[in-house]
Amino acid sequence: MGDADITASSWRQVEVGRVVLFSYGPYAGRLATIVEIIDHKRVLVDGPASSEDKVVPRHAAPLSQLSLTAHVIPGLPRATGSSKVKSLWEKEEVESKFANSPFAQKRAQLAKRRTLNDFERFKVMRLRKQARFEVSKSLAKVRASAKA
Amino acid sequence: MGRVKEYQVVGRHLPSEANPTPKLFRMRIFAPNSVVAKSRFWYFLGKLKKIKKANGEIVSLNEIHEKRPTKVKNFGIWIRYDSRSGTHNMYKEFREMSRTDAVDALYQDMAARHRSRFRQIHILKVIEVEKSESIRRPYIKQLLTKDLKFPLPHRVHANQAKAIFSAKRPSTFF
Amino acid sequence: MSATADATIAKFQAQATEKASRYYPAEDEKTPRKVRKSIRPTQYRKSLQPGAILILLAGRFRGKRVVLLKTLDQGVLLVTGPFKVNGVPLRRVNARYVIATSTKVDVSGVDSSIVEKVSGEGYFTKDKVSKKPGEEAFFKQGEKPEKKTIDSSRAADQKSVDKSILSAVKKDRDLVAYLSSSFSLRKGQKPHEMVF
Repeated sequence: MGDADITASSWRQVEVGRVVLFSYGPYAGRLATIVEIIDHKRVLVDGPASSEDKVVPRHAAPLSQLSLTAHVIPGLPRATGSSKVKSLWEKEEVESKFANSPFAQKRAQLAKRRTLNDFERFKVMRLRKQARFEVSKSLAKVRASAKA
Repeated sequence: MGRVKEYQVVGRHLPSEANPTPKLFRMRIFAPNSVVAKSRFWYFLGKLKKIKKANGEIVSLNEIHEKRPTKVKNFGIWIRYDSRSGTHNMYKEFREMSRTDAVDALYQDMAARHRSRFRQIHILKVIEVEKSESIRRPYIKQLLTKDLKFPLPHRVHANQAKAIFSAKRPSTFF
Repeated sequence: MSATADATIAKFQAQATEKASRYYPAEDEKTPRKVRKSIRPTQYRKSLQPGAILILLAGRFRGKRVVLLKTLDQGVLLVTGPFKVNGVPLRRVNARYVIATSTKVDVSGVDSSIVEKVSGEGYFTKDKVSKKPGEEAFFKQGEKPEKKTIDSSRAADQKSVDKSILSAVKKDRDLVAYLSSSFSLRKGQKPHEMVF
């Protein structure tokens, strides 16, 4: 019998310092960080965003309204004050880091697509067709060379 | 916002010739509104002293607000509650942001576990448990472990739950 | 006696001699109800400006994207394909069965006299002769029906209207493809949540 190769699952954890995104509720689409865990369903969050309309005030939020992002603010003390959270938030550049993540870019793309008008939607469709055609063309080339 | 508020009610016996300055009684009462708070005040005072609403008066009534509503605290609550077969005393712990939230959670918990109603429960005392060693209940103790973290292993997306039939198995973590 | 007094006496005498008619209607006469509405010219949506690209929702050309030429009265719009691009001729459509998109085509070069002629009364109806399928037609069923002939003047009108529109449209290759494609809802698309 060989040794079993066990790797721990790398699930995102609910933990102090975890950056979360509100997916429902009055703060939908805004970023915050977990300051303290209240219980298995609720956390205390604080989102000191740079722009006024993105700020999440410190409050207890149900985990069902949140999605966990890949970012964690390291060294955020438990139940720390708003000013400390703000300084660490800015030092860690949470917002720009999140904006550059694939998840955020996909969200931004979806949001952009939703605002396109009929003609723009048509143009996107044509460009996607062209891209797909190029991909399949090069794939066919590779396949043909592999056979030979 | 919770459904209960905390009131401070001060009342006394009506002054008479024999006693022109009757003793004042103060209570902190959890109630949905001031009318219920006054009613509960007379209910409790009648049990403790020989004073009732007809021969007493309310001197003052004001709402008590939470001092730090953005801090997570552990509360211990002593209650007396009438079950279908007898009267029991109980001690429960709650992890909430305010005293009123804790009392609200208590009423929900008592309704769920014991099918008890508002009128069957007397709240005797609500304290904030400041030291974590003083926490008695394991369900609160487990939340006070150092560097607590846990995953969310089974999440159902609202959009996934909509379709009756689906060609794909849903992904349950994100 | 003064003249005015004589006149009043005469008036009373006349009244005494006049007999009231014995006839009176047994039932109340119906008076037509007064119409309180006034006829106002149709108010069109703001998006329905000449040159706007519309999506037709009903009729033979449903799903087609067409160019709006002019708003006629009583909720009717004059549109054209252009015919060469998507096969929609000069045509009148109901403004209610149309989605207006925010895309626009320059129609300033269209000959306004022809548009006037086309939007005039009887342009679309005059050549419609009522042909009832009679006995003769029934026996002719096996034979090939007569091919529809198109009035050459109407074809000329169509060409002259489309000419300037086509030159404007052809500046953008996507626009030609857009006009020739037809609209349909894809999976998950909700028209009330979409931008047009």
